[in-house]
Amino acid sequence: MSQRQWRLTRRGFLISAGLLGGGLALGVRLGWPEVQLKIAEFAEAASPTSFGGASANPTAWFELTPQGRLRLYLPKVEMGQGVMTALTQLAAEELGIAPAQIEVVQASTAQGIRDLFGTAGSTTVVSLFKPLREAAAAMREMLLAAASAQLKVEPAALALSAEGVFVQKHPARRIAFSDLLAQTSKWEVPERVPLKSPEQWRFIGASVPRLDLRDKVTGAAVYGYDVRLPGMLYGAVLRPPTLEARLRRVDTSAAERLPNVRKVVVDLGAGFVGVVATSRAAAQQAIAAIRAEWDEGRRWEQEDIDRIVTVGDEGGVVIQRVGDALSELQRGVSLQAEYRTPFAIQTPLEAQAAAADVRPDRATVWVSTQSAALVQQQVARAVGLREDQVEVFPTFLGGGFGRKSGWSEVAVEAARLSKAVGAPVHVGWSRAEELQHGFIRPPTHHRLSARLQDGRVVAIQHEQASGNVLLSFVPGIARGVVGADFGATRGATIRYAIPHRRTIAWRKDLPVRTGPWRGLGLVANTFAVESFMDELAHLAGADPLAFRLAHLPNDAWGRRMAAVLRAAAERAGWGKPAPQGRARGIACSTDVDTVVAQVAEVSLEGDSLRVHRITLAMDCGLVVNPDGVRTQAEGGVMWGGGSALLEEASVRNGQLVATNFDRYPLLSIDRAPDVEVILLDTLRDGQPRGVGEPPMGPTAAAIANALFALTGRRVRQLPITPTRVRAALSA
Amino acid sequence: MELLVNGQRRQVSDESVLVWALRDELGLTGTKIGCGIGLCGACTVIVDGQAVRSCITPVRAVSGKSILTIEGLAKGGTLHPVQQAFIDYQVPQCGWCMSGQIMSAVALLEQNPRASEREVLAAMSRNLCRCGCYVRIRAAVLDAQRKILARKEGNA
Repeated sequence: MSQRQWRLTRRGFLISAGLLGGGLALGVRLGWPEVQLKIAEFAEAASPTSFGGASANPTAWFELTPQGRLRLYLPKVEMGQGVMTALTQLAAEELGIAPAQIEVVQASTAQGIRDLFGTAGSTTVVSLFKPLREAAAAMREMLLAAASAQLKVEPAALALSAEGVFVQKHPARRIAFSDLLAQTSKWEVPERVPLKSPEQWRFIGASVPRLDLRDKVTGAAVYGYDVRLPGMLYGAVLRPPTLEARLRRVDTSAAERLPNVRKVVVDLGAGFVGVVATSRAAAQQAIAAIRAEWDEGRRWEQEDIDRIVTVGDEGGVVIQRVGDALSELQRGVSLQAEYRTPFAIQTPLEAQAAAADVRPDRATVWVSTQSAALVQQQVARAVGLREDQVEVFPTFLGGGFGRKSGWSEVAVEAARLSKAVGAPVHVGWSRAEELQHGFIRPPTHHRLSARLQDGRVVAIQHEQASGNVLLSFVPGIARGVVGADFGATRGATIRYAIPHRRTIAWRKDLPVRTGPWRGLGLVANTFAVESFMDELAHLAGADPLAFRLAHLPNDAWGRRMAAVLRAAAERAGWGKPAPQGRARGIACSTDVDTVVAQVAEVSLEGDSLRVHRITLAMDCGLVVNPDGVRTQAEGGVMWGGGSALLEEASVRNGQLVATNFDRYPLLSIDRAPDVEVILLDTLRDGQPRGVGEPPMGPTAAAIANALFALTGRRVRQLPITPTRVRAALSA
Repeated sequence: MELLVNGQRRQVSDESVLVWALRDELGLTGTKIGCGIGLCGACTVIVDGQAVRSCITPVRAVSGKSILTIEGLAKGGTLHPVQQAFIDYQVPQCGWCMSGQIMSAVALLEQNPRASEREVLAAMSRNLCRCGCYVRIRAAVLDAQRKILARKEGNA
């Protein structure tokens, strides 16, 4: 475990030099409380490792290694969203060397990953945009100042290369980083650390190729499922047969007699039965040989759950109130419609996986996780160690999508089994475990009501019910205090300039574990709200685009929505006839300060809805890597499209039905639409905004609206399956 | 049991399916596991020129046959045209399905070098990608096909 001694400087940087042969390191810690910085101003000369009890490890930091390489420790994980490249671009910009010349290392919990939030919520680039550049700039200034002393040249005349510092006009005059390290006894962060101006940027705003792709096309990249340790054994865990099953009795004697089984662990109180064997196959055989008796609990059916997830009882929490929508709607409702979205499963293609090596005084865990700091807490608790005795190394993630945030059951399982057997243990979940035993996207129910007057919406109400999303991580008592689940309600409020608006949300506890799914409530809420706006447009006899534009607020949001709506519509040929047999639908959404509009072009093949193309326009502010952002938008459309057409999990006879992709089909390439992405930056305020989730927002609504344009019939329940299309057409 | 993997003879036990022998016994973790029942394609390897789902292939069934995994695809430091196209088009996101996507495309273009776009999509539709890289997978496979054909014609 790295035990660097960090010193906090007046400017809030953390510096560490000349210790344990670790080279020079400099970083920033996000969220330093103001008071600690004040203490640091007085205590700069002192060198404690922590202030006020907080760990002084930086969040993001650079190291000049003894070998003379510049290394960036990534404080967020790479799960396909491209942050390894985007964050390196930010660093490279200020260091003045190419991104590919920086050695990029995933930080462990002992090396910088400290945030309990994890890599989630489309926040990585937004939150690190300034601090990471400041740390890089400080590192640059420090290196230039030190080199200036050695080369007897003004710092302004110097520049960094991958290997050292050189005189810009005489590149032969240089000093290698390794020599600079050896010859500099005292490192100081300069008083002035100027950031480059946007006109000077070479890498920010450029489509720098992804740094991780060569390893990903050659099989060299290491994910959680790929971790191999000397002497590693394989673990597996007994799973309950129903949602509410409780273990009553277990007979493991047959499993223990199997030749390749090293350990069978039974903890009846915790409902935990696991095995350790010399291979995955042997571990699975041992699990199959266990005789277990269960209290199976209630045999839940999907209809029971849909009944729970229904709006209208006393428990709703008003989350938006503009004007007096209730009174206005009592005067008359022009249109009311209900929508439903189902359970859906994140099901990253790399199932949950972790390797743990638990010793009496420490534990090391390698895991595919979005929340390494939480895994550290969970593992410490599970094996009876202090948190600082547990180091968690996040690997590459074979997809996260919210499922690898929060809890990591698999890391705890691997750790418990490793402790029991006294050897490193790997646990990798099967697809059935991934589909039946994680937490999944909750179903939702929406009732929207509105009154039209002279072709304009004067009042609207969105009643929304959902299973828990973020509050599933909060204990029951606290849930009551918090009220609405701000994850479930993402995208639920009405952004249009309607004089009377009300949104009320019901949070429903369900027998199925539910939690974050990419975009949280965004897809469900946007499907409901934007389908309903489309219905209102048609009721008013208006063009759906013109109707939306006529209801935009006269503020920055409204201008940004207008820009993306117009851009997508124009590129998609809105207003011009669609190709024979096809029709178009439009929808938009706002999420994490990013605005997205999409036009879907669809046709019917029998009762099967075919999505030919999605034209997407997005205003996400300053773009660090345009091609990377396009990639996120393309992927988001596939997620929205999968939700629109295919993805639905359900409960039968007390258990989630699907155990594999035959019963939980994913979108495949032959059904994938063409995607065109238009990027706008209307505010031009120099700030990037989140792009991991927002592009998913409007897809399902745009597709449903296109189906209506094609057929005059509306499907108000996702996914839009052939059965539901047939029902709508014959209604 | 002896297997011929990427041109090398390797010893493995015969208790399991090929994917675990490759990954857990031989350390060739470039071949991924997705569904375990041959539906998603993440575990695709090439056996005697055919794309095979290694998660449902018993080790016994491939003894004595030539097995090619993603680790053996590049020749020296030179990537296979399909691998290169996947970089050129910046295809992978998380990357977990990509070994299987690439091996499926390689086998397809070997067997049917002039596959139509429709045939390419039909063949690749058995390889799932959860991140949704489909627009780029299509573009990259078609580009690799053009380059492979051009090279063959150049040699002819």
